Amino acid sequence: MSLRLKDRVCVVTGAARGIGLAIAERFGEEGGRIACVDVSARRLEPAVAELKSKGFEARAYEVDVAKRDDVHALFARIESEFAAPVAVLVNNAVWARFDPLAQIEVETVDRMFAVGVHGLIWTTQAAAPQMERRGGGSIVNLSSVSAFNPAKDSIAYSALKAGVVGLSRASAIELSTKKIRVNVIAPGMIGTPASIAQFDEATIATRQAEMPAGRFGEPEEIAALAAFLASDDASYIQGAVITADGGWTIPAR
Amino acid sequence: MRRLGGKRAIVTGGGSGIGRASAIRFAREGAAVLVVGRAGNTEETAAAIREEGGIASALITDAAIEENVAAMVARCVSEFGGLEIFFANIGVTGTNTPLLEQTIEEWSEVYRINTISCFLAIKYAGRHMTAQRYGSIILTSSAASLRANAGAISYSASKAAVNNLAQTAANAFAGTGVRVNAVLPGLVETQLTRKVFEDARARGVEAKLGHVTPMKRPGRSDEIAAAAAFLASDDSSYVDGQLLSVDGGVSSTHPYGRIAL
Repeated sequence: MSLRLKDRVCVVTGAARGIGLAIAERFGEEGGRIACVDVSARRLEPAVAELKSKGFEARAYEVDVAKRDDVHALFARIESEFAAPVAVLVNNAVWARFDPLAQIEVETVDRMFAVGVHGLIWTTQAAAPQMERRGGGSIVNLSSVSAFNPAKDSIAYSALKAGVVGLSRASAIELSTKKIRVNVIAPGMIGTPASIAQFDEATIATRQAEMPAGRFGEPEEIAALAAFLASDDASYIQGAVITADGGWTIPAR
Repeated sequence: MRRLGGKRAIVTGGGSGIGRASAIRFAREGAAVLVVGRAGNTEETAAAIREEGGIASALITDAAIEENVAAMVARCVSEFGGLEIFFANIGVTGTNTPLLEQTIEEWSEVYRINTISCFLAIKYAGRHMTAQRYGSIILTSSAASLRANAGAISYSASKAAVNNLAQTAANAFAGTGVRVNAVLPGLVETQLTRKVFEDARARGVEAKLGHVTPMKRPGRSDEIAAAAAFLASDDSSYVDGQLLSVDGGVSSTHPYGRIAL
């Protein structure tokens, strides 16, 4: 593995597990210095210990990305502790509930958008000046195929993930002048413990049969795409939405 | 990066531009490359790869003719021992003749080279790859496939067909382990766009090229090659039937103004 992210400070939110942890690990393999951000320090601790045991430079940071002042303070702390400005930001943190229309509650929607949309605005706001100071950077935001092809009970989630696409593309226009790229990954069904737990076995089999790949994706496959977008290999990719769903959303159904 | 170590690749349109850059990039990542093109510079690409220690051969042929595509797949398999990657990259621009005066001859030739070449790549590489249950086919489309005013009309339409072919072929190959994706370059200086760049230079407005893109510049062939290498490699193992725009953001935004060409 070459070191496409050598010496770059990479912030990954929601890094304690699943796709976020896989991204942090892949970035470590490519030479990145990783700031692992999560809402739970307790959850983060074993993840960062694991990354360090593999020889990667990784630090743990607890923050609620919904809180603007805390996020700004966090990015100042990250720059100070790594003694370098942030080069890569991956907005992976999410909080979601899936309910039919009549059962959607104010608190649920507020929390989903606070983490999944407001949080992205605050991290982008805090990271962009640091990236500008180092002459550029790359922001990778996690959306979902639900932004375009919603599943059952995903009214709030689909709106949330469509919101990620809009804010990313609008950010790309503004930040392009500062040599900052902003791109979106739209994963399909990824076989994290949290996603598998949502479905019974029959549903999982049905879903897999719908996919040309015939299987759920692995967190490492999303991490490989994130590493590509974070690196200079994607130097002319701006405002793009890249779906990684094993072809799930290609056929009409 | 050596993500393609032990892999065998065919790159058509490999004599110049995006094809040349991709053949070199694939080889640097470890692939043996059969460089296919219509002109003598095809051999130069293969020689450049061999000079830096890579494995490459050249084949001068028209990659939009059925028996030639069948033959290049057979050649890659016999010479290198297999085929895992096919980058179908030949292309031609249409003319800017007024739409109401365009001819079926022009449209047929543009479709033959831009679209039917991709079908042939899918057919013959697909036969080999589905049998071995592994492979990646990459088609060169264009930002012009998504919007008007980014190329000749026949060109844009033929590339839109390529996008659909990436999706329909990926779906047809469901469960076979063969992926099909398209890469959609924006404005890049290649043989196809050379006149645009030369005219701009002659008029002293080169700095305006790519000005409608958020990144305010044209792309380079090596930037498209890096995206093609991603799609060729297992790093894209869950990316299938996708249209990957590598265009400085031009397709994701409203244009700021028309390109004066």
